[in-house]
Amino acid sequence: MSGKKDIRMIDIIERIGKTSINATRSFRDTLSFAFTIILKMFSKNSYSSATRMVLINQIYFTSVQILPLFIGISIILGSLLIGIVFQIIKTLGLAEYLGRILMGLVVTELSPFVTVLLIALRSSSAINAEIAVMKVNKELNTLDKFNIDVIDYLFLPRVINGVISVVLLSALFSILTLTSGLLFSKLMFGMSLDTYSNVLLNSANFYDIVISLVKCCTFGFFITLIPIRFGLHATNDLTSIPIAVLNGMVDVFIAIVLIEVLSLILSFI
Amino acid sequence: MSKKVEVKVGLFVVITSVLIIASVLYLAYSKGFFTREYIYTLSSKSGEDLTEGMPVLFSGYKIGRVETLELNDQGILLIKIRIPEQHSKWIRSDSTFSLYKPLIGSSRLIIATENLNSPALSPKTIPEIVMVNDINESIKKVQPTLAKLDKVVTNIERITANLADPQGNVNKILSHSEKLTGNLAKKDTLIEMATGTPESAQSVNESLKKIRDLLAKTDDQVYGNDGALPLVRKILKDIIVKLEKINTALDNVVKISADASDSTKDLKLLRTEIDTTVNSIDKLVSDINKILPSKKEPEIKLP
Repeated sequence: MSGKKDIRMIDIIERIGKTSINATRSFRDTLSFAFTIILKMFSKNSYSSATRMVLINQIYFTSVQILPLFIGISIILGSLLIGIVFQIIKTLGLAEYLGRILMGLVVTELSPFVTVLLIALRSSSAINAEIAVMKVNKELNTLDKFNIDVIDYLFLPRVINGVISVVLLSALFSILTLTSGLLFSKLMFGMSLDTYSNVLLNSANFYDIVISLVKCCTFGFFITLIPIRFGLHATNDLTSIPIAVLNGMVDVFIAIVLIEVLSLILSFI
Repeated sequence: MSKKVEVKVGLFVVITSVLIIASVLYLAYSKGFFTREYIYTLSSKSGEDLTEGMPVLFSGYKIGRVETLELNDQGILLIKIRIPEQHSKWIRSDSTFSLYKPLIGSSRLIIATENLNSPALSPKTIPEIVMVNDINESIKKVQPTLAKLDKVVTNIERITANLADPQGNVNKILSHSEKLTGNLAKKDTLIEMATGTPESAQSVNESLKKIRDLLAKTDDQVYGNDGALPLVRKILKDIIVKLEKINTALDNVVKISADASDSTKDLKLLRTEIDTTVNSIDKLVSDINKILPSKKEPEIKLP
């Protein structure tokens, strides 16, 4: 009995150890892959007309196609959230902190988070599946045989697109939400345009904007890089595609949470 | 398709980039990023309640902020404040810098300038910050009231202790009052209660009656038709008439004395005239004597 128990305990410990090693290896591989992509990003040779074409198409599919939906969501969700926040501020008598709350909540937290969620749900899963299918169909090998650098041609435009899209869409979300906040400030507090803009300007902080920008860039980078890396994990079987997408999307979610936590820690230092 | 996509993507990127750049530039402009700023250094023995980024106010208006806080070699805190050029005119050599800590809310650095014509504060000068603490001020204001309140509470405590004590003054007064009201209930009158017996009360009543009769008589003798007062009034009237007569006589005396005074003046004149006349006669007699010698010719003795 005791011998069996010991064997089970060893199995559990072994499993924990294996999982930890796999997680560490995965993290290390992701960082290594990220480093390769960053190097390529800053290399002039990486950019060709084909790369630019892919980049434009990627921006189109990720940002331009989603734009009407995104603007609608920004206005509806942003206005609702602003309305709720204003109501809470009014109830608690915290009108003095209106600007600080708006800038802190909308620009630093809400905009990047909503944008990254939307793009991750729509584009990251698509990139993950696309790369996995290409891997299963051996398209990547074909490109390699034709001496086409898959990083330059496939991965780099997608990662750059992720960074550009998250930054631009997040800024758009902030601008739209803060503009719709004007309506609520007028209705709830009787604030004029001048007063509202003064409140926002007085509370605006370059440090917040820089943190928000860095956060958006990091979000955009990893929500496209992780799906690419997990897409490459697909084997020759078609059944490996959903597994690759599933694992990739879970890691994307973990990455979003980690970046969010890190940015919060940074903003409080 | 490719051209259309390129245009759409180009428009998206350009419009959103312009929006972002315009917002950031507007923010930078509003925050005074493009205006020249002056840095003044202040000192304080304590860095309590001082934070970087704290607003600097003049007449309740934000004119700058605390840039950095650092300790010098002597352990004194140096506070660098950043003031935009358009607000630097409010900081003069006689400006006072105080750290105001309200009861509720965050601390702020307040600048007060008495004379705006005094010379501008040199950035090399390091004035010291004065601490203004609302909590301490409030405690100071409340302390006398608390002391009074303490006295009141002590007095109330004493009164309640007295009330609770059966041998206390209040209880004694109450028992005496009870006795008094009991006695009052037993007796017919207040005088009877005071004197003790009904006979004494009757005696007091009789005495009072006698006094009343006596007063009636006195009243008749003093104020009656033949009383003392009408006679006094008659005498006084007579005296007044006589005094009026004396007054007239006195006026006459005054007039006579004035006349006498005038007469003496006339007498002096008369005397002068007499003197002059006598002198003239004397001269005349001398002249006559010269003309008509009355004595014999003196005998001339020959040698």
